[in-house]
Amino acid sequence: MTVYLIATLTVVAIAALAGLALNLQWGMGGLVNFGLFGLYMLGAYIAGLLTVQGVPPLLALAAAMIGVAALSAVSALISVRLSEDYLAIVTLGFAECLRLVISYEGWLTKGMLGVAGIERPFQDIWPRGFGDIGFLALALLAVAVVYTVLQGLARSPFGRLVRATRDDPGVVEALGKSVLSVRVRVFAVGGAILGLAGSLHAFYYTYIDPTQFGPIITAYAFMAVVVGGRGSNRGVLVAAFSLIFLLEGSRFLIDLVPGIGASELAAIRLFLVGVGLVVLLIFKPDGFGREPRSALAEKTR
Amino acid sequence: MGQLLVNGLVTGLLLALPALALSLTFSVLRFANYAIGSYLTCGAYLVYVGNVLFGWPLLLAASVGAVLFAVIAVAIDWLAFRPLRNRSGVTLLVASMGVAIALENVVRFFAGNSPRAYDVAVARPIRFGDIRLNHEQLTILMTVIAALAVVWIVFRFTRLGRMMRAVADNPDLAAVRGISRGRVVACVWLISGTLAALSGVLVGLDANVEPQMGWTYLLPVFTAAILGGIANPMAAVAGALTLGIAEELATLVLPVHYRMIVTFLLMVALLLLRPLGLFGKRWVTK
Repeated sequence: MTVYLIATLTVVAIAALAGLALNLQWGMGGLVNFGLFGLYMLGAYIAGLLTVQGVPPLLALAAAMIGVAALSAVSALISVRLSEDYLAIVTLGFAECLRLVISYEGWLTKGMLGVAGIERPFQDIWPRGFGDIGFLALALLAVAVVYTVLQGLARSPFGRLVRATRDDPGVVEALGKSVLSVRVRVFAVGGAILGLAGSLHAFYYTYIDPTQFGPIITAYAFMAVVVGGRGSNRGVLVAAFSLIFLLEGSRFLIDLVPGIGASELAAIRLFLVGVGLVVLLIFKPDGFGREPRSALAEKTR
Repeated sequence: MGQLLVNGLVTGLLLALPALALSLTFSVLRFANYAIGSYLTCGAYLVYVGNVLFGWPLLLAASVGAVLFAVIAVAIDWLAFRPLRNRSGVTLLVASMGVAIALENVVRFFAGNSPRAYDVAVARPIRFGDIRLNHEQLTILMTVIAALAVVWIVFRFTRLGRMMRAVADNPDLAAVRGISRGRVVACVWLISGTLAALSGVLVGLDANVEPQMGWTYLLPVFTAAILGGIANPMAAVAGALTLGIAEELATLVLPVHYRMIVTFLLMVALLLLRPLGLFGKRWVTK
């Protein structure tokens, strides 16, 4: 049970990172990023491939963060001319193309075979068997750092600027701030977080292949942000925790319902994710958390 | 070269129906239906049930399946999209992502992951000089042209078509003139659901019936619709043909599995240079 708890908490931490990244980009910045899973995948691949080449994990993790942040920033350059739904489609297309390249450029990425034997940090620490706890600690530390940075960002003048860009880019432009630069920076920071989440994924599972990454990861992140309340980082943390526990908990349904196979169960769980997303949008559109300092905005609405 | 053009034309025709369905719902409902790919998959599987499990001829199975799925599309709208009608387009977009995942996994639950094929006789391709045309391609050609003609007539010459155009242009004004928005929206979903299901059958005929099939078409369909100007249903067809031919011609220089990248680059270039689409007009927003 303890082993299971540790494993689930690690997954929660990784999901929370993806949710926090999306919360920065969509919740605060109003930038709909459907291609989240592509950047997450890229993070996993950079970290995984470097580690297999013998680069120390923490260095590989840093490289993944920087690499994904850079690519993410570049992809944001076109965002300024696109409205929200077009941006969603373009980011999705970008992620799909990334997945294609990773699937077919076998000389670099091992293609569909996947990258095996990725080293997990802290696996050999003393006393033996505490490796999982060590890794969980690393993941939780990552969440704590990201959370603190994002909270600071949300309360800083830059956070105000980001929210203003979301609510009315025209006004921001009129005040002499560059909307494009704000969006590029938001995408870069979000990308760095996704790179971090992706690297942790690669370290944790020690094996990655292109089929692990799909739009469902984007859906999880959107769910976390919708449940948590757009703009509320604390909400996202709580949401990621409860979502993953519900989803992981539903694995045990297989013991309760007779005559149901693993793939059927997986289909049911993903079905519930989809339905849950719609139901939440209908009945609880503002989520359960609250954006900090939005009281004024609510009064004037 | 001639063969590539023919293949491109067929690819384009395959994209034409879902692109039309997408831009139809977009122009009336003002949101991009991300679930269109899953609609295609569901339609294909419904027809598979009729064709293979019940042993009906494909034509009968396709007709029944398309009608059935049209009703399902209206039901989905009723359950998922109608309660969100007055929210922003992005909320609806995220909701349609939820719908897409849910639908795809309903299919997976009942049908599993393995690819299936319709029960049709295998026939020799027809030859015109150097150019070969499969029977599947011929079916695609005829079905799509017939469907397009029907939709064009409905859109252009009937009262329903006028009402749809009126609601697309200005829902409030249309409401003042006594047009029931709810009824028009239901009709739009009926048409869009039929078209999506039909194209699902055609895609299944062209390749395989599998849970992923609609997903692989999602991006090309969106690109085709954007290419035509997403709010202009008939131009979506022209966009689809253009994209189909561009994709096939691109195989001259790029490996086949990278055609999605061609699609993507085309979409980005288009959105940056001519966001209203090749044939789009700037529309007046309130």
